[in-house]
Amino acid sequence: MTAALYHGEPNGPSLTVLAALFETGAEADLIALDLTQGERHCRAVVGREVEMSIEGEGPVLVVEGEAMADSVFLAQYLDESRGGGLQPADPHARWEMEMWCRFIIERVAPAAAFLGNRAHLTPKLRAMSDEAFEALVGRIASADLAERWRAVREGRYPEAQLEDSRAKIRLAVERLEKRIEGDWILGAFTIADLETYAWLAGMVDLVPEAFADAPITRAWLGRVAARDSVRQALALSPTGVPMKSWAPGPEINRWG
Amino acid sequence: MSDKVTLFHWEPNANSGKPMLALAEKGVPFESRYIDMLNFDQHKPEYLAINPQGTIPAMLHGDRVLTESTAIMEYVDAAFDGPALMPPDPRDRWRVRWWMKFMDQWLAPSFSMIGWSVFVGPAVRHRDPKELEAAIERIPLPERRTAWRKAIYNLFCEEEIAESQRRVGVGISMLEEALSRREWLASDQYSLADVNGFNLAYALPLSQPHLSNEETTPCIIDWLRRIYERPATKATWALGRTEMVKRVKIFEREVQP
Repeated sequence: MTAALYHGEPNGPSLTVLAALFETGAEADLIALDLTQGERHCRAVVGREVEMSIEGEGPVLVVEGEAMADSVFLAQYLDESRGGGLQPADPHARWEMEMWCRFIIERVAPAAAFLGNRAHLTPKLRAMSDEAFEALVGRIASADLAERWRAVREGRYPEAQLEDSRAKIRLAVERLEKRIEGDWILGAFTIADLETYAWLAGMVDLVPEAFADAPITRAWLGRVAARDSVRQALALSPTGVPMKSWAPGPEINRWG
Repeated sequence: MSDKVTLFHWEPNANSGKPMLALAEKGVPFESRYIDMLNFDQHKPEYLAINPQGTIPAMLHGDRVLTESTAIMEYVDAAFDGPALMPPDPRDRWRVRWWMKFMDQWLAPSFSMIGWSVFVGPAVRHRDPKELEAAIERIPLPERRTAWRKAIYNLFCEEEIAESQRRVGVGISMLEEALSRREWLASDQYSLADVNGFNLAYALPLSQPHLSNEETTPCIIDWLRRIYERPATKATWALGRTEMVKRVKIFEREVQP
């Protein structure tokens, strides 16, 4: 496999894919981007599936000229290419992993991105000149992703969505408290652990009340962070504080 | 555990049609339990005992309950013999998953917002207001309560519908482009992405005639026809009970859309 992985700070979807790469032992040239400056739209190899990925500013894996996006599917691709054992073989256990990942992708990730961008990206974008910002969004092919960048710069965070986002983080932790079986979410270590950790780790500081009475989740966060693959991914952070690095993520469900 | 399969579904359309068609392609016999969505059967206690979320479809395999149409399809493909509906190559599998997520989470909600505003809402709106309000209150998921309330009382705002229409237009051009590159949507083999896509798009030439027709989207029309001609598709769509699913007849070769 001749592959290149364009990734941001090891947080959110970039963390999932970097850690999956190290878990599986797959080889790829690592190319660091500053996703908070929209570099994916000018420095990475992209294609239609990357431009229109609804994950937002996630990493890009390029294999034989094809640019691929969406962190859970990239982790599955790496796992299936390498036989990495990051997914259960039993069909029902696999269904459970997919259902869990979907809960994270659809409900938790949009909420985490909303809160993370509010805390960390809005101040950066506000400091940018109009010209620089317009140049940045002008390169974004997806109109709804460009709109999410504008919302972050303008600080559009309605109170109802803020509260709903915090509620989603609390719900994720409540579900983790009940779900974690032994060391990991589904018994064996899977992509579900990586994807969940990647979106939740940065929420410990932003929604501390969600984790206050959650000993099982906190111990699990510690176990994921201690895995070699995750440590190796986190060590790639140029700032040393990857959990404070956010870029526009998936949109909050339009149906409310 | 018994291996019996029971599928709780509405019409062969959108989410319900996905596992119906996947089971038919695999040749898995199943007991069909029709849930009349427009009669709110999916929020009644009998059904909530099966799926407390009140979403359709749901599938029983032995004593296990499976929900979420796309995840059910992947389970069906992995758990039963029959033709593989996921390609063996990992990159093709990535593409199948990418398209299914794109359709499930970006394109289908836009289609359904339009569909619910012009079809589902008007279909139930004339009923006793008290009965409707009680029906809404019984919906377990807050997101679904919002969706039904918007459909029933026509609360979709102009911007929302315009944005959905924009996405439908973008999605159609993306489908056409992908189908001009490959025989099937995500790989050179018929896959779950096609099963998913057919459920989403079979009525396109009728619902979006200016955007999808023989001239502007020849690859989409040809793709839908090829899927409709599969015996599993014909058998599945024959299970429909309403006029809505008869729209599929436009793919009979002698009838032009």
